[in-house]
Amino acid sequence: MSPDDPIIRMEGVSKFFGDLKALDHVSLSVASGEKVVIIGPSGSGKSTLLRTINQLETIDAGRIVVDGFDLTAPSVDICQVRTELGMVFQSFNLFRHKTALQNLTLAPMKLRKTPRDQAEREAMALLEKVGIAEKADRYPAQLSGGQQQRVAIARALAMNPKIMLFDEPTSALDPEMIGEVLEVMLRLAREGMTMVVVTHEMGFAREAADRVVFMDEGKILETGHPGTFFGNPTHPRLRQFLSQIL
Amino acid sequence: MPKEEKKQITIIEVGDGAAIPVKSDQGLVSAWWLAFVGAILCMAGLVIFKSDPYWRILKFLPDGILVTFEVTFASIGLAIVIGLFTGLGRISPNRAINLVASTYVEVVRGIPLLVQLFYIYYALGQFYAIPAMAAAILSMSVCYGAYMGEVFRAGIMSIDWGQTEAAMSLGFSRRQAMFYVILPQAWRTILPPVGNEFIALLKDTSLVSILAVSDLLRRGREFASSGFQYFETYTLVALIYLVITLILSRLVGEMEKRVGKYESR
Ligand SMILES: Nc1ncnc2c1ncn2[C@@H]1O[C@H](COP(=O)(O)OP(=O)(O)OP(=O)(O)O)[C@@H](O)[C@H]1O
Ligand SMILES: [Mg+2]
Repeated sequence: MSPDDPIIRMEGVSKFFGDLKALDHVSLSVASGEKVVIIGPSGSGKSTLLRTINQLETIDAGRIVVDGFDLTAPSVDICQVRTELGMVFQSFNLFRHKTALQNLTLAPMKLRKTPRDQAEREAMALLEKVGIAEKADRYPAQLSGGQQQRVAIARALAMNPKIMLFDEPTSALDPEMIGEVLEVMLRLAREGMTMVVVTHEMGFAREAADRVVFMDEGKILETGHPGTFFGNPTHPRLRQFLSQIL
Repeated sequence: MPKEEKKQITIIEVGDGAAIPVKSDQGLVSAWWLAFVGAILCMAGLVIFKSDPYWRILKFLPDGILVTFEVTFASIGLAIVIGLFTGLGRISPNRAINLVASTYVEVVRGIPLLVQLFYIYYALGQFYAIPAMAAAILSMSVCYGAYMGEVFRAGIMSIDWGQTEAAMSLGFSRRQAMFYVILPQAWRTILPPVGNEFIALLKDTSLVSILAVSDLLRRGREFASSGFQYFETYTLVALIYLVITLILSRLVGEMEKRVGKYESR
């Protein structure tokens, strides 16, 4: 893999749920360090696209290459590839039987055999980074939505992934908590993390995205720099969509 | 929303164990206390004021109680192991494993326990005879393993799919996710119904007295038929079963209360 190769390359990816074509010949490449924001109406396939990148959804046609691993190759160790892909879910999905700290240390300790004290030190540093170190010993149920989502981001970072995937990370949050999560994501973006983000937060898209992708009915209809994308949308569906949400 | 659709409801069918005390039933004069104190007083009264034959009967029975507990503990232990694998099999994405586990549950649930006992001891015994005690434990655990399988399946499915996805997105395999993330959460849902199955199983062990296993009921039968004191003996036997299951059901109830949520550490 040469340094110029994209870190994610999707070629002609299709995905069916029964008769429903959730992804229709989607091609998308993401360069290392690039931030791509995906927008589109409900049911357009945004989550499905994101989830095929770490194979939480398998694909029916096409090819996906992540960091040099061909995900469709039968020999690929998908668990190995997933350690390079952090994922943040709309519903946080923190492990409910573990404290915030333990949520972060579980994977490094079990999968990488990191010694406990080292894992805990690194976890504390990450919790510090997302501004929630003082809640390290709380269980998820004792945290607010915004706090849970920040822990979830830290948990995904604990495996030192090269890429972070976000699926509507602020959609389940009360408005006053959205800011604290976006702030953490912006920080991550500034540090050079490769990010693919499904979101309706256009402010975040404007500020952080190198590229915005518009999906509708399983297809990518338009892609562009946020400036031109929002300032001068060409596709009528996109214009309609933007007029609805802005 | 696909993730929401996969969420399962946290309702688990409880077995036919003795009733668990409910909140409104916790006053000083609850049905539980009435039954418990009544049974104890009844036994004490009979033994003290009519020590012949009741004291003689009571002295004769402890060996049987011991055997009843032996069969119960051995069977529940095995049934839990069988149940875990059956429950995992029932939710396995592997069609073959799934089918085997489901068929096992279907077959076992369709045959009365007494018939299963006869089948393993007498019918299969024609080809390969095993001791009555072993046949008893085997039948009980095969039967309760199927019910336990459903308890495990329901418990595992009560944990939402997002937990598995989160674990897998970190690099855990499905199996590791089950072991590190799902089962440690599911046991809270699983434990109370397992307690109920335990009580139901203890009562059902009385069926093994039909084989040559000297459990509580069989000891009673031996005593009764030797002196034609059926009423006296079976009264005591019934009271002993009652006291044991009442105590156990109270324990299960307490356990259910303690198995709280994670925030209340
Ligand atoms: N597991 C599934 N089984 C069946 N259909 C599914 C499944 N997951 C998604 N779909 C369908 O695939 C289509 C695309 O879904 P997807 O979740 O990717 O949309 P989305 O763009 O993320 O929408 P939203 O904004 O509502 O999250 C939808 O029609 C959805 O109903
Ligand atoms: Mg979605």
